[in-house]
Amino acid sequence: MEILVYGTINSVSLALMGLGFAMVYGISRVPNFAHGALYIICGFVTWILFHSLGLPYFMAIILSLCVNGILGMLMYRFVLIRVRGMNISEIIASYAIGLVILEGLRFGGFRGMTYTLPAFMEGSLMIGDVPVDYHRIIMTIIGISLVAGLWLFTHYTKIGLALQGMAQDERAALMLGIDSDFMAMLAMGFGAVLAGVAATLILPLGNIVVESGYHVLIMSIAVCIVGGLGSWVGAFFAAFLIGYAQIITVVFIGSHFQMVVAILAIILTLILKPSGLFGHQKELEERV
Amino acid sequence: MKSYRLRVCLSLFVSMFLLLWGTHAFAEKPIILGAPLSTAYLYGWDAERGIKLAVDEINAAGGVNVNGKKRLFKVEVIDTRDLEPGVPVSEALMALERLILNKNADFILGGPNRSEAALAAMSLLSKHKKISIVTSGVLTPKYHKMVAEKYDKFKYCFRIHGEAVNLIGEMIANFADLKAKYGLTKVFIMAQDVSHARGAAKVMGKVAGSKGFEVTGTEIFPTGTTDFSMALLKAKKTGSQIINIWMDMPESAILLKQWYDLKIPALPFGSTLAAAEQPGFWKATQGKGEYTLCNVVNAGNAPSDATEWTMKFYNAYAKKWGVEPEGLGSSSSYMAVYVLKDAIERAGTIKSDKVVTALEQTDMMGVYGRLRFDPKSHQVIVALDPKDGAVGSILQWQDGKRVVVYPKSIAKGSIQLPPWMK
Repeated sequence: MEILVYGTINSVSLALMGLGFAMVYGISRVPNFAHGALYIICGFVTWILFHSLGLPYFMAIILSLCVNGILGMLMYRFVLIRVRGMNISEIIASYAIGLVILEGLRFGGFRGMTYTLPAFMEGSLMIGDVPVDYHRIIMTIIGISLVAGLWLFTHYTKIGLALQGMAQDERAALMLGIDSDFMAMLAMGFGAVLAGVAATLILPLGNIVVESGYHVLIMSIAVCIVGGLGSWVGAFFAAFLIGYAQIITVVFIGSHFQMVVAILAIILTLILKPSGLFGHQKELEERV
Repeated sequence: MKSYRLRVCLSLFVSMFLLLWGTHAFAEKPIILGAPLSTAYLYGWDAERGIKLAVDEINAAGGVNVNGKKRLFKVEVIDTRDLEPGVPVSEALMALERLILNKNADFILGGPNRSEAALAAMSLLSKHKKISIVTSGVLTPKYHKMVAEKYDKFKYCFRIHGEAVNLIGEMIANFADLKAKYGLTKVFIMAQDVSHARGAAKVMGKVAGSKGFEVTGTEIFPTGTTDFSMALLKAKKTGSQIINIWMDMPESAILLKQWYDLKIPALPFGSTLAAAEQPGFWKATQGKGEYTLCNVVNAGNAPSDATEWTMKFYNAYAKKWGVEPEGLGSSSSYMAVYVLKDAIERAGTIKSDKVVTALEQTDMMGVYGRLRFDPKSHQVIVALDPKDGAVGSILQWQDGKRVVVYPKSIAKGSIQLPPWMK
């Protein structure tokens, strides 16, 4: 039972971490290596708004998500747009932005374990014989709803369909009058907001530390590679695969190997199916 | 009139030149203390603050008397980053070498903080004949064993705080008390995947077993782990009553929050539990860390009356930095500067070999008791009474305060159990 419960929770938290990365790559083909930094900065902005400025918690969250979205769009508009299409340069530029944000935060005194956000709801309940705290349950429900909402958004709204069009074939989308740069900027904004949503849902479970930014980036990359780069549905399923594998490893082998699972998943995917589980587009490209 | 002005200007210029040259020529060169520390982490910045506080006090009192000449201390800090995940030892060694070669450090104080990096640094210190006193984070017994085994090579290395074996002894003494008082006999060990913690967890398992405790499990976590629920559930399932934690990563605060949320009926008892050492821990966990015990290695890192100097240091630190002494390296880093000053003054020189001999003869009262080094291993001599040696300190979070519960000679309270364990 504990594998089922905590496997689901772990999988949803991995999916939350990876969704933003998958979305940005899927639409703009920009591997956003600043994803972990955006996750952390949203945590710190929420902390500042809530603790230092005394805003109500949920208002602080909404404002910090807006800040994150704007930051993501600015990153694209002023830096990434210039290197778009040049894979290595995109990675270097986005990773550099991430480094500047994370190391800047560290340099600015955001260090140590005293930065925390309150849980949405205190207390715990028993699912079978397994105790689970309310915040994890809320996080899981929001996480699953978010994926469902994203699916509806990309299938039934004009912007969502435009984003999907971009993801499928950018040139065809351009011919149909979709502004590809604007859409890529929007995708970057959405990705940053999703990183922020993950942060505001996951960080209350622990504390906000700069180092988590690197951890989130690695997990996002793992989820996206296994799921198939560019496919956020794939990322969601890959999160469940890695999430359950991690929990099973902890139960039957040891916590020590928890991180190895994610890295091993990347290596195995790259050897056996480089396009990932749902990377149909990339699979076609590889065949060609 | 014109020549008068010229003469005045000329004499002013000459006097200014003489004044500047004289100040420069006759002022004694400062003694440079190089501090290779992982400054983004508690064990780095607490050491930096401890060292700077002592240096400020000593300089304000006139400096160090080196053979009749007063010289000031100057601190140079370089970030080693060795407490980061992955333990980048090479970066720590580069930082140390920069301190020695670029900053011309006369002595090395503080770090590297991680045992792996400190062990690797020993050969470098020996190559450059630089005295180093580690003050924060290096807990592996291998450090002083290496000095004892190859004295001529590693004689420049000193450690001014207790090490893992001392900490285990102190914790076992407390476990015995908990067994006698509350009948707690089952221990679950959780450790971070770093040298000192892995080693300590292994030794703790063996020692606890030999002392009549049942070790119900051992879990090792990679640095940076953010979820401990499964291990906590394992502890609960196995009926564990004490969770022995060896983690200095900031994420250990997550473990303690999860322990509270899941109401695990086992007392968290940590060593090098950086999260719980800090005064801000209570606020950061919204009080969920109550009842957490942690070994802060030396007295003075939590309020107590170990010696006359303890609270003087405690208050001076709080006044200067706006926060109470925060981690296990605060009091030891502060004392290292005073011990070095004392040794230099006795040696009458800053030459390494003479200062090594003087340090070996150190015998002074400090913040956490009588400070002496074992002349063969250069490990500070520990004791249960501050009159006999360096005393350790174990605190428990009780009602928002850090209460020292061990050793009895300096204790301010006794261990309490959370309500869901009663």
